[in-house]
Amino acid sequence: MNTQLKWWPHAAGLVILCSSLSHSALAQQDEAWGIGAVLDVAHTSKALAMGQREKGLQLGHSDISAAGPLGRSLSARFTVATHSHDGKVEAELEEAYVQTRSLPAGLQLRAGRFPSQIGYLNEQHPHADDFVERPLLYRAFLGGHWFDDGVRVNWTAPTPFYLRTGLEVFTGKQLVQEAASSSSPGAIAFSVKTGNDWGTSNSWQLGAAWVRNNREAALHEEDEEGAEGGHDHAHDHAHAHGAMFSGRDMVLLDAAWKWAPDGNNRERQLKVVGEWAKVSGINRYAQSKDVHEASSLMAVWRWSAAWEAGARMDWLKARSPHGDHFHNVRLQERSLMVAYKPTHAQTLRLQYTGQSGAEGVEGAPAKRSLQLHYVLSFGAHGAHSF
Amino acid sequence: MHTAFESPCLPSSGTSVKRRVAIWFRTAGLVLALGATAAQAQVATVFACEPEWAALVRVLLPQAKVHVATHARQDPHHIEARPALIAHMRSADLAVCTGAALEAGWLPMLQQRSANRKVQDGQPGMFYAADHVSLIDPKPATLNPFAGDVHPDGNPHLHADPRRIAEAAQALADRMGLLWPAQATEVAARHKDWANRWQRHVERWTHQGRVLNGQKVVAQHTSFGYLWQWLGIEMVADLEPKPGMPPTPGHLDTLRRALLATPPAAIVVVGYQDDRSARWLAQQLQGKVPLVVLPASVDDPSQPEALERWFDRLLSDLIAATGKR
Repeated sequence: MNTQLKWWPHAAGLVILCSSLSHSALAQQDEAWGIGAVLDVAHTSKALAMGQREKGLQLGHSDISAAGPLGRSLSARFTVATHSHDGKVEAELEEAYVQTRSLPAGLQLRAGRFPSQIGYLNEQHPHADDFVERPLLYRAFLGGHWFDDGVRVNWTAPTPFYLRTGLEVFTGKQLVQEAASSSSPGAIAFSVKTGNDWGTSNSWQLGAAWVRNNREAALHEEDEEGAEGGHDHAHDHAHAHGAMFSGRDMVLLDAAWKWAPDGNNRERQLKVVGEWAKVSGINRYAQSKDVHEASSLMAVWRWSAAWEAGARMDWLKARSPHGDHFHNVRLQERSLMVAYKPTHAQTLRLQYTGQSGAEGVEGAPAKRSLQLHYVLSFGAHGAHSF
Repeated sequence: MHTAFESPCLPSSGTSVKRRVAIWFRTAGLVLALGATAAQAQVATVFACEPEWAALVRVLLPQAKVHVATHARQDPHHIEARPALIAHMRSADLAVCTGAALEAGWLPMLQQRSANRKVQDGQPGMFYAADHVSLIDPKPATLNPFAGDVHPDGNPHLHADPRRIAEAAQALADRMGLLWPAQATEVAARHKDWANRWQRHVERWTHQGRVLNGQKVVAQHTSFGYLWQWLGIEMVADLEPKPGMPPTPGHLDTLRRALLATPPAAIVVVGYQDDRSARWLAQQLQGKVPLVVLPASVDDPSQPEALERWFDRLLSDLIAATGKR
């Protein structure tokens, strides 16, 4: 649990907060804070290599969240997430930020701890995911989902289609938790998102992001010795936020297309999402061929208000650092799921996952794994993104 | 300036064709430029969450550019915060929505992602109709996730009561006057004119609807709770076992057994709902109970009298169906 925060995101938050205090007396009382909680439980027949769920019955990413206005100019959100790990329940502050809502010209500032807006899934709360595990891309490069301490400035363009550019400056400590060398700021993420409707039934979104990571990952002792397999720290990875495979530069592209007959997405909807990422500059010994690459392609079909089924393919190619050289890492994953959502507050999901083509992967790949997943939400929870 | 008003149709002698064309272009350019400036000064952009509010905006501010987030064949509870909607929200000077948490699943995301300060909660540019009318059926807020989609403030489908539409229209006209003082008089005049006509329509509908008083219906969700209350119709059963929960076989069978003894006058579903459960139930009740599919809102808010025609349709469909028995 890393709650140690750097001073500058806080200072920025304080500046935003103070600048709005003069307005807060005018705030209307009709905007209430919403408090909600999410319970996530899963049973896993066999843990996946690089997976985030252990074998057996286990508490997944469950959280308690509070969000609401701070005067007329600001809003805030706090989220504490818990999960069980090695039989213990661990808690972590995942979100604690203030955000402006009164800047002109489509500008928006945010400061504190929050998930980066890169990729399609990163900013989405994991309980809204369509599959039990995040794509390999996220598990390998972003610690499942990357949240960090920092500041963000976004600009939404006044265009007839959606166009948003954003710059995030983070400490980077949640991306690379132990650094051999680092410079400040630890990580910078620049991202662009665009999208629109296409007729009444189709909508699409494209995203591109570039992350500069100034924290070079420290090598573990086993890595230094070049030992293969049986790494003791495999367990630390199972749930630690922070990238398994990092590098100086990451490029991330995502595309989403949704089709709902006549736009009535509650009854029927097809959702197709593809993501691709490439990480280069792994460490000081890396050559241009030493890059990590991962991609994910998923499709989910909702055929009635309560039922969905989906399939996902994941590919990972990485170069694992061992002293001054690198070992190949390869893994493929295929997932099939069916989900029953009797109400907005509940999801029961059965998922089959098969891993193959494993090379240099910590822990045994799961040829076949069945997972039963239950998500229950209480009270208010934030509106979902596209 | 004056050169632009030289008539291109009466060229002075010796004017070449080239020069005539140049004058034409200059004139056209100036007219376009003046037109664009005037349009910028006057045309407001309005984001309407549901088509009924778009229709009302067109009554009060016909020159406004209106973006409608949903149409009558979509379930307004379950809209996604699509990129196109964020872009529309970004350009809005005023957003007109129902409120009472009807849009809780998507509107807050549009407000946040649009980064448009005019349409944030608490600003005059964010108008919620539910803030200006009384709501039926308020429920205590609950953390119980098994209670269904509970709206603590009350039933948000207030647009199915024409008297509440009138109250919302008054508040919306006032809000427009506050936002655009230069047009306040015009808006107020248009509102007064509309409100008088609307009042006569309401009297007519109330009169027509007297034959529906005391009728018993089965419906899916409380989408027409206000219509039932206004016309004195009794909703004896809900196809949804819990608010917002799609009908389940067990619940439908319970209803079937109860309704066989006392069949209702009609089974009513909304246009955007899957009507398979309702059809099954109607069939099980030996075809004696008609199935009525009512449009959730106005069909095309850009048409004149869209709201009036929607209420005409609701009344005539219900009267036709219940009269058949």
